[in-house]
Amino acid sequence: MLRFLNIAAILALVGSAIYAYSIKYQTSYRAEQIVKTKLEIKAEHDAIAVLRAEWSFMTRPERVQQLADRYLDLQPLAVDKIVTARALPERAPHVDAIAAKIDMLGLGVASTPAADPGAAPTTPKTSVATQTKGTGHQR
Amino acid sequence: MTMDTGQFVDTPPPDGQRATPAKKGAAERLRDFARAAFSTNLSSSTSRMRLVALLFLALYGVIGGRLVFLGFKPDPANLRRAAAEAVAAARPDLLDRNGEILATDVKTMSVFAEPRRLIDKDEATELLTAALPQVDAHELRDRLASKKGFVWVKREVTPHQRDEVFHLGLPGVGLIAENKRVYPNGPIGAHVLGFANIDNVGIAGMEKFIDGQGLADLHGAGFSMTPEELSPITLSLDIKATHALRDELAKGVEHFKALAGASAIMDVNTGEVIAMASLPDYDPNNPPDIHDVNIINRLNVGVYEMGSTFKALTVAMALDSGKVNLNSRFDAHTALTSGRFRIHDYHPQNRALTVPEVFTYSSNVGVARMALGQGVEKHKAFLRKMGQLTRMRTELPESAAPIVPQNWGELNTMTIAFGHGLAVAPLQAMMAVAALMNGGYLITPTFVKRSEEEAKKDAPIVIKPETSEAMRYLMRLNAEKGTAKKVDIAGYFVGGKTGTAEKVIHGHYSKTRLFTTFMAVAPADKPKYLFMTLMDEPQGLPETGGFATAAYNSGSVTGKIIERVGPLLGLPPRFEPPTQPFPILARLGFGFVNTPATGGGGH
Repeated sequence: MLRFLNIAAILALVGSAIYAYSIKYQTSYRAEQIVKTKLEIKAEHDAIAVLRAEWSFMTRPERVQQLADRYLDLQPLAVDKIVTARALPERAPHVDAIAAKIDMLGLGVASTPAADPGAAPTTPKTSVATQTKGTGHQR
Repeated sequence: MTMDTGQFVDTPPPDGQRATPAKKGAAERLRDFARAAFSTNLSSSTSRMRLVALLFLALYGVIGGRLVFLGFKPDPANLRRAAAEAVAAARPDLLDRNGEILATDVKTMSVFAEPRRLIDKDEATELLTAALPQVDAHELRDRLASKKGFVWVKREVTPHQRDEVFHLGLPGVGLIAENKRVYPNGPIGAHVLGFANIDNVGIAGMEKFIDGQGLADLHGAGFSMTPEELSPITLSLDIKATHALRDELAKGVEHFKALAGASAIMDVNTGEVIAMASLPDYDPNNPPDIHDVNIINRLNVGVYEMGSTFKALTVAMALDSGKVNLNSRFDAHTALTSGRFRIHDYHPQNRALTVPEVFTYSSNVGVARMALGQGVEKHKAFLRKMGQLTRMRTELPESAAPIVPQNWGELNTMTIAFGHGLAVAPLQAMMAVAALMNGGYLITPTFVKRSEEEAKKDAPIVIKPETSEAMRYLMRLNAEKGTAKKVDIAGYFVGGKTGTAEKVIHGHYSKTRLFTTFMAVAPADKPKYLFMTLMDEPQGLPETGGFATAAYNSGSVTGKIIERVGPLLGLPPRFEPPTQPFPILARLGFGFVNTPATGGGGH
């Protein structure tokens, strides 16, 4: 019994030592990681600062004007180039050109089977079946 | 055994054995010492422990002494401090009113050396000058020979040079990251921004102003701020408008072959300077010689006789006194004589003129009589109230005091009434005209973004609202049918006033060398922006009929600026002119002010 206790105590000691060591190792590893990440963040901040400076350098009005003069056909804004919303023509009544075309071709009923709600229950089941069968055949 | 020793101790050794016992004695003594040292006899352990304790005490004493010695010795941590003091500090970003970057910091690498740690200074000099060709070898050798702990080899090296120096692997030579100030927009807004030197210390403009706010003190005390800790400073400038203004001004200066030109846009309700340019200017990325008078900020540092734009102040003084109203007439039959001076009109009408006519014909005689009607003291007091006789201070460290006549007599009042004899900074004149426009608030111009409430909180009210409205009417009338027709850009309801001053050359006013100014306000019914352009010695051109007066040069440039900048600043062009632009005047019985004027040809 006493021997077992001794062995257990030694094992516990070795185990805790290993645990303590691993904790310590992990801590220093994490600390290193933090320092590294901080350095990376700093490097990213510096890179962002450079990119921001570069962006504002590339989009400086002087350069944009040169590019616009060369590649775009823009003109200065003047009063005669603006109209008020009221000056726009009224919106025309909505015309569904496709529906009109379908109606004209006489396909209106076939394309809208659910248009007549009263018709649905009176439709014989058999005829529907044959119809579907028939269409399936055609395909 | 014991008997033997006893015998040996008790009886002296015989004479014949004397040579051998000396030898034998040494060996024996060694044996005795070993026996005594390693014996486990308890009687000697106390003294032995004392000896051991003494030894350890001595050992710890040595270690402790060494620690104290090391503590007092100057260590490499000193280098870090020296480097931190030497490197360029971080500065806050400067943004325009819409958040565009005007000035920012980027990191660059600089090469430094610690002369005390260099092994072979000649070799180091040779290798470093090979890697950095711009460095002068002799000078570098001298610097490395010094006893200093820290010297710069070269500031702001390229990435390629940085790698080369790194690969030299010289002990005592290192690289350190520094902040470098960059101005992405180049010369746009340069006079407002100023610039910072290689140590990132503000030398001029807003950069110097920021340092004055305590940044430099912090750095000097050793608190280096990282860029994240510094909140950016938002200026009042609009970079797009500033570019457009500078572009039009540059075209104008070139077209009219002027020596110099300057232009500014100010928000009349907040005093913010929205855009500003003074040509010739400089690129803050390549800092110029600060003492070069040619590149001064003509709006703030130069003082000029503003010419007829000053008539607005005289007319406002007369109207505000209550003695004069819009229907009052002033005699302009003949030139006004005072002593040996004669005051002429540029557009002589040779009749009595009403106040609006005095303004639109820009009659020198009319305004001189107006000022005389008020008297010298009142004129002086009014100009002092309008801030024209004292030095105006803004955030910009550069400023200039106005040149005021020593003995201010009646003649001075007559000439100052039309802008000769008193030289002020153009921005100062803008402040006064803005007060005439915005309802009477004298707001000191600012280069930092601020709200209308903030601006008007401490602003003194210098004229009555109805006087302000009358001045806006006069400015508008002048753009409709007076000398300022060049700025009547459709849709913006602009009002304006020209000003042509003759430059003083060798003590005399010159007829050919002119200084022209132009003030315009838009829109005149609800004033928002005040535009000003000035030109130094513009030349008459064939298409202007050889005239070099303000309307032809400064005026046309201002017109182009308004046309181009209006949409950028969110001034919506209006199709219909406002029907009741001047309600207070109409209520006071001057209903005619709300009828748009037309024609009026010839002036």
